[in-house]
Amino acid sequence: MGFLLLVIPLISVLLFFLVKKRLFLHVISLTASGLMMMIALPLAGDVIAKGTVEYAHYGGFFYLDSLSIIVLDIVLLIGFFAAIYSVQYLEVDVRRGKLDFGKVRLYYILMQLFLFTMILALTVKNMGIMWIAIEATTLASVFLVGFHNDRYALEAAWKYVIICSVGIAVAMLGIIFLHLSSIGVLESRELLQWTALMENAGRLNDSTARLAFIFILVGFGTKAGLAPMHTWLPDAHSQAPAPISALLSGVLLNSAMYGIIRMAAVVNKSLGSSIYTGRLLMAMGMLSIVIAAVFILTQKDYKRLLAYSSIEHMGIIAVAIGFFTPLSLFGGLLHMINHSLTKSMLFLCSGSLLQKFETKQIPRIKGVLKMLPFSGTAFLFGLFAIAGMPPFSVFASELGILMSVFNEGSYIIGAVLAILFVIVFAGIATAMFRIFYGSNENKDLEPGEENIPGTLIIMTLLVIIGITGLWMPDPIIELIHQAQSIISGV
Amino acid sequence: MSGLFDTLSVIILLTSFVLVANKRIKSYIKTFRIQSAFIALAAGIMGIQSITSEGRIDVLVVCFVIVVLKVIYIPKLLNRTYSGVEYKVEKDFILNIPILVLICCGLVVFTHFCIASIDGISQGYNDLQIINSVSVVMIGLFFMISRKKAIGQIIGFLVLENGIFITAMFATDGMPFIVDMGIFIDMLTAVMIMGIMVYQISDKFDTINIDKLNKLKG
Repeated sequence: MGFLLLVIPLISVLLFFLVKKRLFLHVISLTASGLMMMIALPLAGDVIAKGTVEYAHYGGFFYLDSLSIIVLDIVLLIGFFAAIYSVQYLEVDVRRGKLDFGKVRLYYILMQLFLFTMILALTVKNMGIMWIAIEATTLASVFLVGFHNDRYALEAAWKYVIICSVGIAVAMLGIIFLHLSSIGVLESRELLQWTALMENAGRLNDSTARLAFIFILVGFGTKAGLAPMHTWLPDAHSQAPAPISALLSGVLLNSAMYGIIRMAAVVNKSLGSSIYTGRLLMAMGMLSIVIAAVFILTQKDYKRLLAYSSIEHMGIIAVAIGFFTPLSLFGGLLHMINHSLTKSMLFLCSGSLLQKFETKQIPRIKGVLKMLPFSGTAFLFGLFAIAGMPPFSVFASELGILMSVFNEGSYIIGAVLAILFVIVFAGIATAMFRIFYGSNENKDLEPGEENIPGTLIIMTLLVIIGITGLWMPDPIIELIHQAQSIISGV
Repeated sequence: MSGLFDTLSVIILLTSFVLVANKRIKSYIKTFRIQSAFIALAAGIMGIQSITSEGRIDVLVVCFVIVVLKVIYIPKLLNRTYSGVEYKVEKDFILNIPILVLICCGLVVFTHFCIASIDGISQGYNDLQIINSVSVVMIGLFFMISRKKAIGQIIGFLVLENGIFITAMFATDGMPFIVDMGIFIDMLTAVMIMGIMVYQISDKFDTINIDKLNKLKG
């Protein structure tokens, strides 16, 4: 069944080339994303029951464990939501004469390829192929970032492709050193395989593995949006169409972080302690949070504000992985889930805002609650949620991470983190909350939602993040516990 | 045999110095082609060795792919892109060439100290080759930030990729075959995408100077 996940997106790309009507494009995209989600969710059950899902075909490259299924299910869930949202989003742009059939087809083809590359990155056990897939995510999404094809979008896309390609190339150097550290330890058919590396971690060459970790952290860290390599992220996220921003922020960053986690697990086991990787991850994570906090305070563009908030949350996850205690790993993984769902909801809301007001500038928008009664309300609650207010899920995982930091006795880091959370909250509050009230200067705008299916998706996500803040379903808790013990290698 | 590979790695390093000293985009592309030819030569020798000693053919296939892609196809693609967006020759670098070359010398020394301080990296393999190939990576990165034209950045990226490839080849006798092939496919797609974007940038901005891409800030 798992192989279908890799086959469906490719088949749908072929079908996109064959059809001649816009309606069929939408239908194919929805069917493909829906099918993939329906295949992936039951796979989680298999993983809980058996620990891993592996197939012997094609050299046994396919491998799923609890860590990858968590990230994979987020990818496919948000992929499905983004596909539903895209239908009306694109139709509105077609009606306004901004898009034609060819552009819509290009959008869907690239979106399915983008999903395919992320699925591939998450379902292989060979670190080399994972690298190839993560590099391919950049290539598949470049033209999606530059989709609007104006000067701004083009600048964002150029920065995105150059910075991320170079970053990922640096990660390749890391993979080479990882390979070098395992020469003589692994047999030739298990070279670069994560499971084999993890089993034989104690016998890897220590100093080469350290070197490998630095390169991989910088490389995949570029993709994950960790400071100081984050500079492509606000541009790309703010210029891409809203459903793509949701995918970039909600799932692409997680996929890159997943690569770092896998690598950190191997190196920590090889060195016998997490001090080395922990310090690097914490330093980068804290720097990301600080930079994001500063830029959020002075932000005038709401999509860029959301993008900086993604940098902040990736920083929080990096700090949590850096501490590498069971509690902090649990918090970090939970935070990955919560951040993805909340942030993709916010980016989808931002798409409705953009199509209604046709500006990204915060000072030029007023009366959102009146103009967009549903997605506006969801946007308001979502901003509270992403800033870390109870009862939403982000609060629960941020609290968990803070507690794990204090439990470890790192009072200074804990205090700095808490202060930064407050600054980010204040930044989001002062920047954004003025857009919700008042009345808009432009009297021609009619109140009401244009994207009805999209609004339903936004409301669903709002319900999910509201409920999971108070109560997490047991299978998810079980999955995270399993993933946590896989990472710590016990 | 390792003496031969030492020499080749030094020559490949020298070609990246030549690249930094180049003034025109045409000569960047030529230098890149020469560098790739030397890499193909090294891969070819290694491929013949591995056929005679172990009967493995994959290194030779990799050598063939390098010749087709990096020596023939990509330089041709870049030349075509460049002639499509040609502008009059203007100063393309941020510092003087002698200073750039001096900085590159510094980078090599820096790499030497970093790699030499890692014990265990040279077990059974020759240190000099790793130092030279990592230096090529560094110089490629530096070349990217020292040029203003979009094509200069693409060449820098390709040289960086070359450096990574020879690091893999000299340090580990090559990665698993499927990984090598995947890297080539990724790289080819990346260069094609960047080439298309150069056209788009020249179309929208009337220049391929990257420092004109400065609208998105904060």
